[in-house]
Amino acid sequence: MMTGERSLGLLLLEMTLLVLLGPLVTGIIQKIKARLQCRQGAGVLQPYRDLTKLFRKGTVQADTASGLFRLIPVLVLAATVAAGALVPVVRAGPPAFPLGDALLLLGLLALARFLTAVGALDAGGAFGGMGASREMTVAPLVEPVLMMVVFSTAVAAGTTELGALAAQRGTSWVFAWHASDFLGFAAMLVLLPAETGRIPVDNPDTHLELTMLHEGMLIEHSGPGLGCMLLASHTRQIVTLGLVSALFFPVGLVDGADAAGLLLGVGAFAAKILVLATYLALVESSYAKLRLFRVPQYLGIGFVCALTALALRIL
Amino acid sequence: MAACYGAGALSALLARWSGRLALGVGHLATLAGAVTGLGVSLGVLLGAPGRTLTQPLPALFPFARLSLSVDGLSAYFLLVISLVAVAAAIYGPAYLRAHSPHAGRARQAAQVLALNVFVGCMAFLCCAGDAMTFLLCWEGMTLASYVLVVSDDRDGENARAGLLYMVMAHGGTALLLVAFLALTERAGAFDFAALRAAAGDLDGTTRTTLFFLAFVGFGTKAGVIPLHVWLPRAHPAAPSHVSALMSGVMLKVAIYGMLRFAFDLLAPVAGPLPPSWGWTVLVVGTTSAVLGVLYALQQHDLKRLLAFHSVENIGIILIGVGLAMILWRREGAGGVLATVALTAALLHTVNHAAFKGLLFLGAGSVISQTHVRNMEELGGLARRMPWTAGLFLLGAVAISALPPLNGFVSEWLTFQALLGGAGRFHGPAGLVIVFSAAMLALTGGLAAACFAKAFGVTFLGRPRTPHAEHATEAPPSMIAGMAWLGALCVALGVAPGYAMRLLDAPTAELLHGPAASAVVTARGPLVLSTGLTASGMAATSISMTMVTALLVALTAMVWVLRRGSRRALPQAAPTWTCGMSPTSRFDYTATAFAKPLRLVFATLYRPRREVIRETAGTPYVVRRIHYAGEVVDLAETQIYHRVLRGITVLSRTIRVLSTGRIHGYIGFVLGALFVALLLFGVGQ
Repeated sequence: MMTGERSLGLLLLEMTLLVLLGPLVTGIIQKIKARLQCRQGAGVLQPYRDLTKLFRKGTVQADTASGLFRLIPVLVLAATVAAGALVPVVRAGPPAFPLGDALLLLGLLALARFLTAVGALDAGGAFGGMGASREMTVAPLVEPVLMMVVFSTAVAAGTTELGALAAQRGTSWVFAWHASDFLGFAAMLVLLPAETGRIPVDNPDTHLELTMLHEGMLIEHSGPGLGCMLLASHTRQIVTLGLVSALFFPVGLVDGADAAGLLLGVGAFAAKILVLATYLALVESSYAKLRLFRVPQYLGIGFVCALTALALRIL
Repeated sequence: MAACYGAGALSALLARWSGRLALGVGHLATLAGAVTGLGVSLGVLLGAPGRTLTQPLPALFPFARLSLSVDGLSAYFLLVISLVAVAAAIYGPAYLRAHSPHAGRARQAAQVLALNVFVGCMAFLCCAGDAMTFLLCWEGMTLASYVLVVSDDRDGENARAGLLYMVMAHGGTALLLVAFLALTERAGAFDFAALRAAAGDLDGTTRTTLFFLAFVGFGTKAGVIPLHVWLPRAHPAAPSHVSALMSGVMLKVAIYGMLRFAFDLLAPVAGPLPPSWGWTVLVVGTTSAVLGVLYALQQHDLKRLLAFHSVENIGIILIGVGLAMILWRREGAGGVLATVALTAALLHTVNHAAFKGLLFLGAGSVISQTHVRNMEELGGLARRMPWTAGLFLLGAVAISALPPLNGFVSEWLTFQALLGGAGRFHGPAGLVIVFSAAMLALTGGLAAACFAKAFGVTFLGRPRTPHAEHATEAPPSMIAGMAWLGALCVALGVAPGYAMRLLDAPTAELLHGPAASAVVTARGPLVLSTGLTASGMAATSISMTMVTALLVALTAMVWVLRRGSRRALPQAAPTWTCGMSPTSRFDYTATAFAKPLRLVFATLYRPRREVIRETAGTPYVVRRIHYAGEVVDLAETQIYHRVLRGITVLSRTIRVLSTGRIHGYIGFVLGALFVALLLFGVGQ
């Protein structure tokens, strides 16, 4: 089935929506975690307060850093937000003017990660270097598996453009999951904590030496720069969740362009993201952080699932 | 055109007598030759389709007519060569002056002469119209590059690297010679048209044998694993702009040879290529890509690291070539996938030439200013050499296949071709293709890790030695050479659609099918698209231009947002080092950066480490600690060392028989003659 094409305006609107809602998802995850730990926890709007605070502050910069250091947060945020423009949020169907597909989305996220790692090495401290080294160890292991999950759905749909892919499969498709969809989704569930930087792969709440990956890289950033980096990681999280829902749950991606349809689309998207966020919070509350050298084994489970999913799809 | 390139090489000969000026004039000649080559290739590529320039050469040999013939494929590779040669010619003189200021006149003359012969041979090789010219240029290219490899420094390491290169290259050439002579013997002539006709009635086994001879021969030059051992030694030894040419271009000449053999000379008149060809190339390509990047990751010598990345990128190109071989004439109606695969391979050829050239030139600037190749002794260069650092970062992003630069575009096309191929072949064949796609993704991720390390450790943080501390920016002509290649990386990344027109002639001629631009830029030059389904209904399309525009707009917005909210100028403060006073010892080293991946892939690296502690009486006070670690190249230990042992054992056995008495030797010769007569003389 083919649906109508999405206009550029709608794409930008969806992108803005993702950026605005990104911190809220983090807030919700933190709240659920707090309640699971029998704490009251901060309000769900806390990430927004943190961001406004940071954007008002001044900057302290390492004296050894090069001119690149101040540009890094800007580029990282821009690359992550641009990735957000490639995720269908409320409507399925290919964009009216082609923009990018799932591979470009993963590429932009990888660009953001590469620049973050480079920025971490710039200040010349051991924390940044260690964070960068670990992040760049985990990333090459996550990316191929993620790519394989994308392929396992793309081979069936015949396209890697996410909007077209969602349209191809249609809303009713979710009730007729193939065995390889289950396996692909299982692989995705394994990968989600890794890609969003959460336990058991990373711990977003601390930059302690033993646990840090992503947070270690941010240690020398401050003020608006740190704000950009944090907003980028909120956006990255919601973009990844959006990717999962576009690949596996195109339910609710509406056909029409009327206001009621769009509202329905937003509602469905919110529900899907909420379910995935709850999953992340549950995993994070019930598992311990893995040792760094156990992470490849953990990701191996995802690799096996993804490979089997692909094999089932092709054979 | 022949005259122009000849003049290039000749003026180097003239320039030989003028001492220091030799460098300037010689490189100017190279530049002129490259610009002419650029003109010729663009003329053929943009001219009428199917146009071939031919030019007979003076008859040097009584038995073979020499000629040049430039068709689409030749012109495309000539273009790649010329693009990098332009940069190398601009960069070269200043580099040689800065790097070895005390070089003698003879050495400079030799370098200039060899450079011109090297570039000229590569250019003529791609334009060769017959086997004789091809082989002569091939040999000239090898010898000239050998001279360049050993010319840089007078130490044993370079000489050994040169010797290994020489041996490996000639082993490859021997195989090529066999393949070519088998064809010329059937054809009774040397020109390619006659060879093509002679290959028409070969039986399957001979055809496949000849292909594999040529594949191994060209593979040695291209440095595919396991024939790569010479490459990471020889490439870093040459002067940096020559390394750029060797890595960026010379390997591509081998790819040209493979394409010429597989799709043109040896291809069956009708029907697909034998399946064993394409699958072998695909598997070898995938292996080279993954192992190349894995070994690159553990290198701390900047140029050696880049040389291993050449192995990786040749692997990526071969994935596209192999896939094109598999799919060619095997698809149903339409048949666009083979075109996509070949387009991906050819595009990656020029992309790799651009970013690898840029990176080698960047590494060259660092080396000429600091005289250090080990990145553990560098650091903090971004503040001292901002232009070099910026351009090196550009090349690093491009080679890591990150958008919006050119590396991403060709890998995207490769992925799309692989995905399309996986949809077409069911069963184990499809799985191999998909596995190859997953390995390609792994390669991209590891390349990003490797270049985060290479750039971070070399250019960022604090300088670790006085060499790095006193570095200054490279001279403007060197930066200009790099900027030219950097501009190519950006242009091919942001607007790749316009380059597709150049790929039309080679793809259409080789595959006798749809041209590149008809498939990939079917929706206008701003959009790259590819049909995955046979109906072409759900083609995937991306627009690099639009995404880059979005990226630039967002960057500007975020920059304004950040600037608007800032009250005061940023304060500078020392980096947090847990309360100790920061020194360069706090910077993460390259060894440390790569350690987690070294442990994850320990099966392939077999890492060894040795730690010696000197303590002062009690084990708690360490006075001095010495660390040495190394990883092995599996191909080297598992194959080459065994071959070496075999040869040694064989020589020992023979030594027993070689008594030193002349009578004995005469006896052996007579015996051999007798056996030969018995074996081969019977039919007479």
